[in-house]
Amino acid sequence: MTVSLSIENVTAHYGTTKVLEDLSLHIAEGELVSLLGSSGCGKTTTLRLVAGFLEPTAGRIMLGDRDLTRLPAHSRDIGLVFQTYALFPHLTVRDNVAFGLKQRGVSTKERNTRANDMIDRVGLNALADRYPANLSGGQRQRVALARALVIEPPLLMFDEPLSNLDAKLRVDMRVEIRRLQQANGTTALYVTHDQEEAFSISDRVAIMNAGRIMQLDAPEVLYSRPANAFVADFVGFENMIPMKAIAESGDAVRAEMPGGATLSLPKDTFTVPAQNFILATRPEGLLVAPSGDGIPTTLGLRTYLGRAYQYQCETPAGELKANGPLTQPFESGSNAVLIPQAEQCCLLPAEPA
Amino acid sequence: MQRKTHPLLIAFAVLTFLFLVGPLIIIIGASFSDTSFLTFPPRGLTLHWYQNAFEISAFKRTFLTSLMLAVGGTALSMCIGIPAAYAMARYRVELPRFLGNVFVLPILIPEIVLGFSLMKSLAMGINLPIMVSLLVGHALIVLPYCVRVVGASLNSFDFSIEEAAVSLGCPRWKAFFTVLLPNVKAGIIAGFILAFITSLNDVSVSIFLTGPGVSTLPIQLLAHMEQFFDPTIASVSVLLMGVTVAVMAIVERTLGLTFLTK
Amino acid sequence: MPPRLRAWALATPATLLVLLFLGLPVLSTFATTFGDPKGPFATYAAFFNSRFRTTVLWRTMEVALITTIVSVAVGFATAWVVAKTPGRLKSLLIIAAVFPLLTGVVVRSFAWLVILGKNGILNNFLIWIGAITEPFSMLYTQGSVIVAMIYLFVPLMILTLVGVLEGIPQDLTDAAASLGAKPSAAFRQVVLPMAVPGLIVGSVLVFTGSFTSYATPQLLGGERQMMMGTFLYQNAMVRFDWVAASTVAAIMVVVTLATVLVMSKLAHRLNPVAG
Repeated sequence: MTVSLSIENVTAHYGTTKVLEDLSLHIAEGELVSLLGSSGCGKTTTLRLVAGFLEPTAGRIMLGDRDLTRLPAHSRDIGLVFQTYALFPHLTVRDNVAFGLKQRGVSTKERNTRANDMIDRVGLNALADRYPANLSGGQRQRVALARALVIEPPLLMFDEPLSNLDAKLRVDMRVEIRRLQQANGTTALYVTHDQEEAFSISDRVAIMNAGRIMQLDAPEVLYSRPANAFVADFVGFENMIPMKAIAESGDAVRAEMPGGATLSLPKDTFTVPAQNFILATRPEGLLVAPSGDGIPTTLGLRTYLGRAYQYQCETPAGELKANGPLTQPFESGSNAVLIPQAEQCCLLPAEPA
Repeated sequence: MQRKTHPLLIAFAVLTFLFLVGPLIIIIGASFSDTSFLTFPPRGLTLHWYQNAFEISAFKRTFLTSLMLAVGGTALSMCIGIPAAYAMARYRVELPRFLGNVFVLPILIPEIVLGFSLMKSLAMGINLPIMVSLLVGHALIVLPYCVRVVGASLNSFDFSIEEAAVSLGCPRWKAFFTVLLPNVKAGIIAGFILAFITSLNDVSVSIFLTGPGVSTLPIQLLAHMEQFFDPTIASVSVLLMGVTVAVMAIVERTLGLTFLTK
Repeated sequence: MPPRLRAWALATPATLLVLLFLGLPVLSTFATTFGDPKGPFATYAAFFNSRFRTTVLWRTMEVALITTIVSVAVGFATAWVVAKTPGRLKSLLIIAAVFPLLTGVVVRSFAWLVILGKNGILNNFLIWIGAITEPFSMLYTQGSVIVAMIYLFVPLMILTLVGVLEGIPQDLTDAAASLGAKPSAAFRQVVLPMAVPGLIVGSVLVFTGSFTSYATPQLLGGERQMMMGTFLYQNAMVRFDWVAASTVAAIMVVVTLATVLVMSKLAHRLNPVAG
């Protein structure tokens, strides 16, 4: 049974503080959507609203054709994996996993069978009689996962499930989570502050800030075509140069940046969105060259990245980061130009001041 | 996002707190009563019983004894208890396991049994002066607070800080006073206050060890109650509550009261 | 100085204080009870053959047991409410529980003399509402001792259990709810089992505390409601029968230790992962 989740125009408050504003999000059947953002952006609040630990002050939450909005948490039938795992310390692994089945009135025999099967699937059959205190972090994570999956919920939710694991285990576990989610075809909502984690396992990612979704798209789109300066900054566009279009000739737009330098942007590769716009690039989107039509610069500190050199560059528009080829190292203090690489640059409308 | 609590349960809790606070309020009321037997609400108000309390020299004398014992016993207990707590936290491997249990004994052995046994062995057996026996008894009953409360904060102390101090050229004994003690200050204050109050209120040990001419305030109050039943006791009780309030104010200032639920 | 020596040097003074001034005297009290010429257990035989003495023992047990059960029930319900109370009000409630706890046992027992006495407030009140016409003495009954004991120990129970309940992470009850547990089921299957260690610690403190108390039975029970504590005192300081007093003391120690042992076993069985 797969269903979709619809969060419709939801607003939420903690006391008198508004933490979510008119948030809408639709997750299709079998889709995994991540909420990504720094702490306080409202991602966990959204999850708690769906789980039923919080009540929205406005809006509606639909799971398939069931209206969850006023349903108590224990009637929602959602599998939830907590950041702390929230395993019951007084129950063995098997009893932890069987807990949800017990609440559903499943007979002891059947729930032990189903719990054992699920424990098997997450590879913990040797540890079924242990208590959570005697498990490693990764094992606890698997128990939490098994406990959420065994009730065969129409919706799975993850609240920063990997943040307490070390780096290597994090990568293994996220593959595992994705595998189990896809195998069951369960709709899933995943909350994390880790961009790599969100991008690697999600069908779509919603980048959140201050209680709103800034952009909801496939990871590939977010990574290369951020829709606004916030998302661009979030996904690593370290250079943000405010520009103003000043002249237009046949096949290029001439734009001016702070400090007075100008740059010619060919129309076939750059689409200027407004008169005032932002040129956003990652360091690899600015190529360091001895001369050409680019941003004039004095090169500063050079660092070696393995695939390229990176330079701290003094420009009229401020300090920028740019990469240069390994074949042609430049000395600190030399003059060069930074040439924007169209496929790795984004032109964004300027934020209203 | 607090879950709702059943109104009946709340009503029950309100009644419990009335039950807890009511009797103390009644004592306060009774201490101002102008009738010689205790009634509440008082018919008329008087400070006579407070005047009486201050005039009875036995109360003043025994209060001073109690104060001396509480300060002396707690100080003695802290002086030997803190090093023991430190040794147990710092040298877990070097000391046998049962040592921790030794310091639980004063809680495990009923105080009244301790009092009786001390009377038999110290006061009668080796003829120790009353004041010394009392001091030993009080040091014993407060020792668990010194060892365990201080020990609790030592257990969360990162001993590498101490080693850092030593590696920076600070002698070990100096590191103990300048690095370790300031970091477990909260535990020491908490332990001291609990110990002080316990000693000040003690009946079961003191009742056996007090003797001619030397008594503590709680024992004196008991003796007074057997002969007279008038509001003087109430006024002394209110004064003692004043001491408790003062102590709680100190706790609140230094630690916050929530530590008492831990 | 090698670490082992340093460790012992630091721990020795406190260890000596306990062993010399608690261990030896208590052992000598025990030794006294076995010194009867009629045989090593003659004093115990005498104790358990005396109707009066066994009555004192059973009465003390009964009072301690009732006190414990009522304190647990009242303490748990109240602690539950306190733990759920937000912010400043909670601090106020904690203060209201701590204050009686820090007030001496003599003062707190005295309060019940004032309330339950013949000219006491309760009698005044009952006459005033017309429930009775003549004051009657409520003191020196088992009931008066039990009420005062409950008064003595409820704050301790509340504070112990507030700590325990607050130590149960919100995540666990949330997790139970997300797995479909109704609030009542979550309480039975998660909260209660996790509170068991605290409940047991609290019960042991209350039971042993009331079993060995002296001042409260002395003031509110008197001669008529003799309990182990007052009986020990009477034997030692009024009748100067130190052998009998030592026997009472030994029985008190045995009951206390047995309670602690049995209850910690029970705690372990009910909640194998606690401590």
